[in-house]
Amino acid sequence: MHEAAKKTFRYVASFLLIVTLNFALPRLMPGDPVKNLIGEDVYVSEAVMEELRTEMGLNRPLYEQFTAYIGDLLRFDLGYSYHLHSPVAEILRERIVWTLLFVGVSVLLGAALGTLFGAYAGWKPETKANRLACCGFIALSCTPPYFLALLFLEIFAFKLGLFPFKGFYDVPTPGSIAHHMFLPVTVMALFSASRNFLIMRGSVIQEKGQLYALYARAKGLYDISILFRHVIKNASLPIITLLALDFGFLFSGALFTEIVFSLNGMGTLIYDAIIGKDYPVLQGSFLVVALAVLLANMLADLAYAIADPRVRRPA
Amino acid sequence: MKNEIKQPIRQRLKKGLKQGLRQEPKRGLKQGMIFTVLILMLVANVLPAGAAGSGDAGESFPMSKAELSDAIILYMKVLYLGEEGELPEAEFLAGAATAYLEQATESDGSVLKIATPSVIKSASFIGDSSLGVFAHLSNPPLMKMDAEGHLVGQLAESYEVSENNTQWTFYIRDNLYWSDGEKVTPEDVDFSIRYYGKETPWARWINDTLESSTVSEADNSVTFKFNKPYTRINLEFATYNILPAHVWESIESPMEYVNEGPYVGCGPYYLELIDLNAGKLVFEKNPYWKGKAPAFGNVEVHYYSNVDVATLSLEKGDVDTYYKYAGSYPYPNIEQLEKAGNFEFLEKTNIGLVFLAPNLKKAPLSDLEFREALSYAINYEELVRLETLGYGDVPNRGFVPPPMEAFKETEKLEYNPEKARTTLEKAGYTDSNGNGILEGKDGKDIELEILIRTDYARTGELLKEYLEEVGLATELRTVNTETWFTLKDSYAYDLTVTRSTPWGMLMHASWGSGYFDSRRTGQGVMHNVDDPEFLELCDEILATTDPAELETCAYELQDYYAEELPVIPLYWNNVVTPFNREFEGWYADPLYGIYNLENFVNVHEV
Repeated sequence: MHEAAKKTFRYVASFLLIVTLNFALPRLMPGDPVKNLIGEDVYVSEAVMEELRTEMGLNRPLYEQFTAYIGDLLRFDLGYSYHLHSPVAEILRERIVWTLLFVGVSVLLGAALGTLFGAYAGWKPETKANRLACCGFIALSCTPPYFLALLFLEIFAFKLGLFPFKGFYDVPTPGSIAHHMFLPVTVMALFSASRNFLIMRGSVIQEKGQLYALYARAKGLYDISILFRHVIKNASLPIITLLALDFGFLFSGALFTEIVFSLNGMGTLIYDAIIGKDYPVLQGSFLVVALAVLLANMLADLAYAIADPRVRRPA
Repeated sequence: MKNEIKQPIRQRLKKGLKQGLRQEPKRGLKQGMIFTVLILMLVANVLPAGAAGSGDAGESFPMSKAELSDAIILYMKVLYLGEEGELPEAEFLAGAATAYLEQATESDGSVLKIATPSVIKSASFIGDSSLGVFAHLSNPPLMKMDAEGHLVGQLAESYEVSENNTQWTFYIRDNLYWSDGEKVTPEDVDFSIRYYGKETPWARWINDTLESSTVSEADNSVTFKFNKPYTRINLEFATYNILPAHVWESIESPMEYVNEGPYVGCGPYYLELIDLNAGKLVFEKNPYWKGKAPAFGNVEVHYYSNVDVATLSLEKGDVDTYYKYAGSYPYPNIEQLEKAGNFEFLEKTNIGLVFLAPNLKKAPLSDLEFREALSYAINYEELVRLETLGYGDVPNRGFVPPPMEAFKETEKLEYNPEKARTTLEKAGYTDSNGNGILEGKDGKDIELEILIRTDYARTGELLKEYLEEVGLATELRTVNTETWFTLKDSYAYDLTVTRSTPWGMLMHASWGSGYFDSRRTGQGVMHNVDDPEFLELCDEILATTDPAELETCAYELQDYYAEELPVIPLYWNNVVTPFNREFEGWYADPLYGIYNLENFVNVHEV
């Protein structure tokens, strides 16, 4: 109970720190949101600029802006976007759904494929197929996602004409969405799978040399049972950490993939907000990402406790 | 009964699986993996096919109009006149007629597709700047620029201005209708202009200076009276999209009004849909358009976050042309598109350009002779070759590119490092201590700081090389855009590289003056010239609407640029626009390039 209280306190403190940083970080960036909103070649008088600054609440002292921000947060109001002309909560809701669709599916697919192939490659590392798979996944993990995405687009959309170049859909039907999502999901899943593969492979190689694995073999268990009943459970601990990280940053989108496939996701939202000094969008997005990271960490803690009895045991 | 049948199967499967796992564990695992890969491959192949549609639903009868007529005439002759011949089956004729009608409908439903890297970020008709440009098609502004750069009426048939330049009257065309059937009235124009003035920050000047406006039903005109002379209203009104008052007057906060469409428009097309997730805008024919009928049923603007993907899409034939405000099709991709063989190219010198701005408040850049020497030190031809890949020209000293109205042919800039060295020496900049670096009039080594935005990193490197070649030590300071704004506004630089846009060249007293007049502010402007002669010229331009007087002033301004070199243009670049060979009739205007109303009614299939 004491441990749980300590953990809760830690999470609450982290959350408060995050909220403060969310407010401070955008304001530490160089540049003026009002000038940015007006644009480079548009002339407006200083009076109009001041009027805009007042409308956006940027003329108030920082502490007043901060208290207003906290007050709005307590009312679940994330503010209003300077550039997108909509409430931030509404923008986030829409973007998150699409981001979850392609990043979420990719992370799950990547985790499943990476874990499965990685476990097998770690169990039989000496076979030709596994050596080849290992080389392939190392190459994939070293490839910048941006390049991989462009390469896939060039081959499958341009040369073979199998997939479209951009967007979540052409017409909003499940078939069109699946057709448009196939390439970005494949690229991201491959990338995610490569990391999971390499970690799982290393972890299984380490675990299979442990005494319990030897004991299981001596007991007469088949290879497959040793791997899936005993080894994989212990070997999956680093994968849980990686998955928690991946899920935590799920809401931050996948900027490069979104840019290549012209997807309207969280990655481009945050990028555009940074370029446009759109403080409310940045604050809202960072908050969602931070909450997701906290939640994923909590879930990882729970999953660790399930997978590893030593974590459950009091120190 | 169901369970009875299923049970043995389940048991067999379970048993088989257990046996398989026990007896052949390695094979089972391998099979599982192969199965997973096969499933993925299946999904990869089935999904695109599913999404592509079910294919041909029935037999098709491809038949031209003439063939169909011949078949019907033959049918009638055989049937009614008793002529000899094989009677075509009635079913065949009905099928052919249907197919012909379908073809006719399809051709009416033909789509002109435009690729652009200008991403629409919000479905806010008034608030999104890229959308504002594309909406010229559905809600054209009062004025437009023709191919020669002259301002002519668009929704306005004609216009006149009072002698003291405070009163502007626009006579609206009589044959304009909104896509909901309502007539376009002068009230709509009056409403739109006032609405922008009240609701948008960048048009607040209207609110501040518009004294009154009157509408005349008799001559279908609207008159705006300003509280001070305004001579560039015809240009300003080439950018504000005209809105239907009967729709927008009920919208209280237009900037916050986000709607995917349709939007009522009065152009040849109206904006039917803004689909941010599909990355496209769909324009449909305005059924009440009384002007020349456009050749396409729809116009679609497809935007891409990545310019390389946009070019691939064009090369593949998914789109018919490419458009970017103030920008060209990427030069490195032109050759590949030429090889594809399906595209023609429209090439026009951009009225925006890249230039080197000296800090005129600081020595030695405040010295005209030093600037003169600097202008000889730059290898313009190499810049044109490397930065525009040959799609550009060495600029004139007069700064203004040829497509601008009242362009004056001034002397071409010349690369002559020897002349640069001689000029510097004559002006008193010598290397007395022999360290290879010229000294300023204060006796210290000249070290110039070139402030560069990341966009012009390579240009900066080249400039550094050129200046060092004539004995000027230089240091490059590459900064992000925001820092550049701050440093530029505080004159914390010796030289800086930046660019002008078409609108930027036209703003203020036009001919690029808006960038240099020290009385102006703004993120992109240099405000580095406070010479009374220059300011007076700007004021003269701002005080007249007389074309002859304007032309004289424009010539004087270009002479000023050429003589005083307050700015050194680095290269004039061309806007290259590829378009599908199947269409013809394109032209580009200096302000909005190919995105003009004329193209959308004139372009047709070859």
